[in-house]
Amino acid sequence: MIELLGRLVRKPQGAIGVVLLVLLAFACLLGPWLAPYAPEKMDFLGRFRAPGWQNWFGADQFGRDVLSRLLVGARSTVPMALAATLIGSASGAVIGTTSAYLGGRADEFIMRTNDAIMAIPGLLMALLLVSTLGNGAGNAVIAIAVAFAPGMARVTRAVALAVRNQDYVKAAIARGEGPGWVILREMLPNAMAPIVIETTIRVSFAIMLFATLSFLGLGAQPPASEWGLMVADARQYMHQAPWVLIAPSAAIALAAIAFNLVGDGLRDALNPRDER
Amino acid sequence: MSPVWLARRLLLMVYTVIIVCVLVFAITQALPADAAQTLLGENASPDALAAVRARLGLNDPVWLQFAHWASRAAVGNFGVSMRTGLPVAPEMLTALSRSLLLALCAIVVTLMVGVPLGIFAALRQGRLTDTVTSLVAYLGVSLPEFVTATVLTLVFSDRLPWLPATGYVSPLEDVAAAIGHLALPVLTVSVILVAHVMRMMRSETLDVLQSDYVRAARLKGLPERIVVVRHVVRNALLPVITIVALDVGYLLGGIIVIEEIFAIPGIGRALMIAITTRDLPSIQAGAMIMAVTYALTNTAADVVYALIDRRIRYD
Amino acid sequence: MRPALAISNYGLDYITSAGPVPVLRDISLEIAPGEVLGLVGESGSGKSSLAWALMRHLPANACEKGGSLALGDIDLQRLTAKQLTQVRGRRLGMVFQDPSTALNPTLTIGRQVTEALARHRGLRPREADALAIELLGHVELRNPAALMRRYPHEISGGEKQRVIIATAFGCKPEVILFDEPTTALDVITGARILDLFTRLRTETKVAALYISHDLAMMTRTADRVAVIKHGLVVEQAPASEIFRRPRQADTRALVAAVPRPERRLVHDRPEESVLLAANQIEVHYARRGLLRPAPPPATNAVDLTVRAGEILGLVGESGSGKSSIARALTGLARFSGDIAFAGRTLRSGDDMDRAYRRDVQIVFQHPDSSLNPRHRIGEILSRPLKLYGGNPVDVARLLEQVRLPASYASRWPHQLSGGEKQRVAIARAFAARPKLVICDEITAPLDVSVQAQIIELLLALRAETGAAYLFITHDLNLIRQIAHRIAVMRRGELVDCLPVEAFDADHVHPYTRELMAASPTPVG
Repeated sequence: MIELLGRLVRKPQGAIGVVLLVLLAFACLLGPWLAPYAPEKMDFLGRFRAPGWQNWFGADQFGRDVLSRLLVGARSTVPMALAATLIGSASGAVIGTTSAYLGGRADEFIMRTNDAIMAIPGLLMALLLVSTLGNGAGNAVIAIAVAFAPGMARVTRAVALAVRNQDYVKAAIARGEGPGWVILREMLPNAMAPIVIETTIRVSFAIMLFATLSFLGLGAQPPASEWGLMVADARQYMHQAPWVLIAPSAAIALAAIAFNLVGDGLRDALNPRDER
Repeated sequence: MSPVWLARRLLLMVYTVIIVCVLVFAITQALPADAAQTLLGENASPDALAAVRARLGLNDPVWLQFAHWASRAAVGNFGVSMRTGLPVAPEMLTALSRSLLLALCAIVVTLMVGVPLGIFAALRQGRLTDTVTSLVAYLGVSLPEFVTATVLTLVFSDRLPWLPATGYVSPLEDVAAAIGHLALPVLTVSVILVAHVMRMMRSETLDVLQSDYVRAARLKGLPERIVVVRHVVRNALLPVITIVALDVGYLLGGIIVIEEIFAIPGIGRALMIAITTRDLPSIQAGAMIMAVTYALTNTAADVVYALIDRRIRYD
Repeated sequence: MRPALAISNYGLDYITSAGPVPVLRDISLEIAPGEVLGLVGESGSGKSSLAWALMRHLPANACEKGGSLALGDIDLQRLTAKQLTQVRGRRLGMVFQDPSTALNPTLTIGRQVTEALARHRGLRPREADALAIELLGHVELRNPAALMRRYPHEISGGEKQRVIIATAFGCKPEVILFDEPTTALDVITGARILDLFTRLRTETKVAALYISHDLAMMTRTADRVAVIKHGLVVEQAPASEIFRRPRQADTRALVAAVPRPERRLVHDRPEESVLLAANQIEVHYARRGLLRPAPPPATNAVDLTVRAGEILGLVGESGSGKSSIARALTGLARFSGDIAFAGRTLRSGDDMDRAYRRDVQIVFQHPDSSLNPRHRIGEILSRPLKLYGGNPVDVARLLEQVRLPASYASRWPHQLSGGEKQRVAIARAFAARPKLVICDEITAPLDVSVQAQIIELLLALRAETGAAYLFITHDLNLIRQIAHRIAVMRRGELVDCLPVEAFDADHVHPYTRELMAASPTPVG
């Protein structure tokens, strides 16, 4: 594990990703304590105050401190995306592994249906689900999880099939091991790495998707200072105070980049290419 | 490519459409919307509501409702909009044509910029140009459409008053205005698509560069220029079709947000309005049209790929 | 006379994260015009690196340590990139190991032959086409004019290698490097390529550096042979002498490890009682699907018996169905027909109970994939012990049985060499105290010296435990050293099943005879 981390940060991309992730984790865990102001504290004298010593990232239309809102808002963005990805990945992984293990016609049926579901674009699926379930952060998480599951099932199945064809799995089957041992002890540990990589990269999509849903008014609801919501609010004032718009946009981009970088870094660290 | 392969591929597309039908119907059934209430408004009398329900077949068992709906949908009849009272399908198709214009422009820009950039970055692997383009690509895939759209509007419409921020003009009416209005939306989609296509092309080209046959071509004494043009680029270009077809799936999702932001009356915006007003027939028609478009593109891409790449042998 | 190719005091390092690793040290070799020098060495000996150095195609982390490489009057190390394109192909050609990847899949054969001819012989397109057709005909390819329009995936591996050879010879270079040109091909195809090479070199008088791991084959191909080990040339001698009078200890060890059918390693006779009888086995990999008929079975009604304590060889080329038999016998593939074992008849994999699975064990071809990379050696070995009621503390005994130190129990698979991994896989099979061990090409990826040790180990284990072997291989010389009987398979059919003594007789199947003729035995 520590060795893996070492290989991850050896490349600049991986190191940047890890640093960004640590910052994100700090914001999520300690956001309210790190924030210089209360996120809802209004200051009508400081409306649209430009970034400066009072408000590092400026102030919005009510004079609320943008930095404080970002720090507090991290909690309503990143953990939500993480949760959605984990639920989606876990259910996708179960479907994919089962399909690969069953093989034959069951596998074909499951995967064809899975592919058919993927014909509905992820955002559209999430939109339809949210409108069925009702607006709100929790429902958005479920919608994103459902939208992610088919893609994850496809990836997992490919990985599981590749592992199933390894000689050590054949050896286990030939010596009469039960399905439990074969799946849990022989296959799963060797299929984990690609699944973890894929999941990490997908967190960045989840962050974007969740922010998009909030931006459209279907995800997190005011007064939460979710980042997508902040962008939506700031749009109408972009002429007076572009910083109110740029700060949450940059936050979303950096969070997404962080997970992208770490995911790609993990891929390199786990599959070292030969030195040639 | 054998007829049997083609038949299997078409069958698969039909299956996809059937599954999508079931899904769309199931989700819209679960929507907390009473079609009769939506039609008659809040103050309708219980008797009137019951009459409308009976007329719409809302009291039938779900499977029967599905059968009715699917058989009508199969001939392109999705009913009338609850919001406007007009037939849904023609309205949605008009909206789709506007979206397709946007999508086509974006794909052309992507192919013209993303593909060459990706190949170029791979050929300069590890040098400054490669690092810079790769970093920009990272940024591109990490920005949600609404952020890109907003930032681009801020720069090109607000700070530099060059382009209109929102709206749509048909190219049949005023070509110059149409281009002006399409510029920002196309740019927004292209940022993400170019970044994605560029990354895929780069890794594809790197794989080809490391292949034995490129090494063999070099060791035959061919000059580097011929090796690159004839052996590397040719093979790296093959998967472009598949990559673009996959991106159509993204595009269809992405235009929902982009049309909403730039107020383009395309299918994405129509769907968004349908969803917020709980206009069931419009939601169903919009979702079906999107999924069928995606299934068609992917089937077409597979067929084209099979025609081009002679290595694929189908049984 | 000036040598066609002269390498003197050449050294090469690869710079890795662990520091520089010497690959070639103080190499001095000369090839006279028209001479074929064979370069023999095991994997990792540096023989291929020498070819890349000569072609000036070294990886970025290569660091040359002095010496010179001269092609006639050209100093190869001083060539500019532009001059290099005038030398590669035109004066120094190369034939590659794997013909299936050396041709561009999206260009026609004709295009790939003529692009070199047009460039190096200054021909116009039509002249190049005519010459290419002539060259392809000359390497015994049928209907060369039609072949010109085909794509690489439409022709066989042997045909591809002929295309590459035709291209290399067609540019009339002074020297051609051959990097294991037959290794990726089947035995018989490889032998025909070798015949072609022999004919072309006498016709064209080209000088060649022929790189191979196969000493026996080299004695028939080369004029002189150089043996390379750990980057050092340990011995150079005329081909006819290297086998008869190896002077260095390293060469002697290499010569001793080469399988020779006349040197039998097994002298006992098996028991008469039949241990396993497979009747009418047909292996099926896929069922029929929607709009898709079921593929034909991988084997065609194969009958096979193994006697107690017997070593039965199963020989065939790739795709002959020999591995499918192994999968059927271990329940890894669906089959029709039946297997009689220990008084029971099994009709499918579901009939294989614990007792059968315990008695019939399998060792796979690839040591890298046969051990779970996430399990330590100790866990890998203790698993069958637990499953078949052995004592887990026996792991040390098992390791000792396969001549590995007991401390290996705490190691991970990736810390072991290929030969060591194969020993662990053998130990895992013997943990069950089996009556029959199926060895599926277990020595194919190993160097001959390691292969000889593994064979020695298998024979010792058989002496200890009395197990029978079903030994699947493509190497006829090897199996003739150890098997009591040999079965020959071809395209899913069993064509021959004979006692080993009968193999020199006349009544063998023509295919078996062809296979024997294609298996090079050492000269000398």
